[in-house]
Amino acid sequence: MKTKELISDLQDFYLLSSSGLLGLIRKPFYYRDTIEQMDYTGTGSFVIVLLVSLFIGMALSLQLSAELSGMGLKMYIGKIVGVSIIREIGPVMTALVFAGRVGSGMASELGSMILGHQVDTLRAFGVDPVKKLVTPRILSSLIMLPALTILGDAVSIMGGYYIAVFVSLQSSTFYWSSIQDVLNYENILSGSIKPFIFGYLVACISCYMGLSTKGGAIGLRRATTRAVVASFIVIIVADFILTRILLYILGFTV
Amino acid sequence: MIEFDDVRFSYGAREVLRDISFSVDFHEKVAILGGSGEGKTTILKLIMGLLKPDSGKILIDGEDISAKTEDDLREIRMKFSIVFQEGALFDSLNVKENVAFGLREYTKLSEEELDQKVRSLLKMVDLENAVELMPEELSGGMHRRVAIIRSLAAIEPRMFLYDEPTSGLDPVNADIICKLILKLFLGGRGFIVVTHKIFDAFKLADRFMFLKNGTLLLDGQREKLVNSPLPEIQVFLSELNPRLKHPGEKNG
Repeated sequence: MKTKELISDLQDFYLLSSSGLLGLIRKPFYYRDTIEQMDYTGTGSFVIVLLVSLFIGMALSLQLSAELSGMGLKMYIGKIVGVSIIREIGPVMTALVFAGRVGSGMASELGSMILGHQVDTLRAFGVDPVKKLVTPRILSSLIMLPALTILGDAVSIMGGYYIAVFVSLQSSTFYWSSIQDVLNYENILSGSIKPFIFGYLVACISCYMGLSTKGGAIGLRRATTRAVVASFIVIIVADFILTRILLYILGFTV
Repeated sequence: MIEFDDVRFSYGAREVLRDISFSVDFHEKVAILGGSGEGKTTILKLIMGLLKPDSGKILIDGEDISAKTEDDLREIRMKFSIVFQEGALFDSLNVKENVAFGLREYTKLSEEELDQKVRSLLKMVDLENAVELMPEELSGGMHRRVAIIRSLAAIEPRMFLYDEPTSGLDPVNADIICKLILKLFLGGRGFIVVTHKIFDAFKLADRFMFLKNGTLLLDGQREKLVNSPLPEIQVFLSELNPRLKHPGEKNG
């Protein structure tokens, strides 16, 4: 019975994700809802992403400084901070913050709409809830998560700069030239594809969990928790798979 | 006309409706009675095509809607105007935007025309001053009135479906809602009201259906309901409404 339910859930998730994505090219388009969602997902997450990114960048730089100073390799701080932030830590950390803040919000909002018969009301009006509710959330995540990731990466690198230059007393010019070195096509491509995939996954998972809410306040709690936990796991697993694929495509030897 | 033909429906393993058959004309005033969880709201959702029956047929104007897709159901849904329990207003929108929701979807009115239309609709229910209020700022009665007006703002329904329109309301507000429902009926458009408040049902309807354990125990007029010998109906009538006498007892 459990396997049957799991297969049915996966099928429903697939249908919701694909129809939500297809809504991007099918009329009607809900511009107002999309702008509202972009404000919530992007502007609303801006400060928290910047704060987390700043401290992650500083902590990383501090750790590297402590480890590399023993080997006399402190000049590599900039390069390692740059590569790890742009390719790995930036996209994953921003996506996790995004899932925690935005994913839980999407699931609880849609869940309470289900419990309050608001989704049924939409259907009664002849409005497709997937186009009205899911597509704007997918689109806003596809736009805002990459944007947040770029800003987060920049702030992390600046946090790393502060530690490298003012605490570890490295050359400012050398730090920035190291960062310039790592801003090559391979690293930028590797770091910029991930946020699109993560944004899509977080939006689909959160909308699916929200729209399948059952059973009052407890059901809503369960849906919200599931949305965040599932998003976290999927982001980390997807990150590994994407890293493997991108390294292969970009010709890196492992 | 709405026709149910041996309709069965279950939520997972729990069977809610068993072999339900009835037909209702669009101009009738029908009340579906029964306790909580007996499947009353489910019937309304099945009529709108919001749920699909496990078996049996649901015909709207002779058209079987059981296997229709969401896109095909849009035309069917336009024949009805449904008001869910507690109104189901969109909490992110204020009263004006809630009422304007259907208008924005189906008409190309300018902002000014839209504003005028919304205000005139709200005036019908004495809520013209509540335009800018958010749903959480409204009382239960105001909530229902906005929901009723919203449901007919953009469409010309042939029938209204009300899910517990007076539940949780004080007698004064319940009476206002009942009068509004009857006022809308004067246009010749019938309604199905789902309720467990027998006195409100008596005020509104002239045909009664009684659901118990997923089966339709009774379908008839007020006398048939009140004089029914079925113990389930008597328990419902007496427990919920002690003022209503059992058959055989003299009315005061």
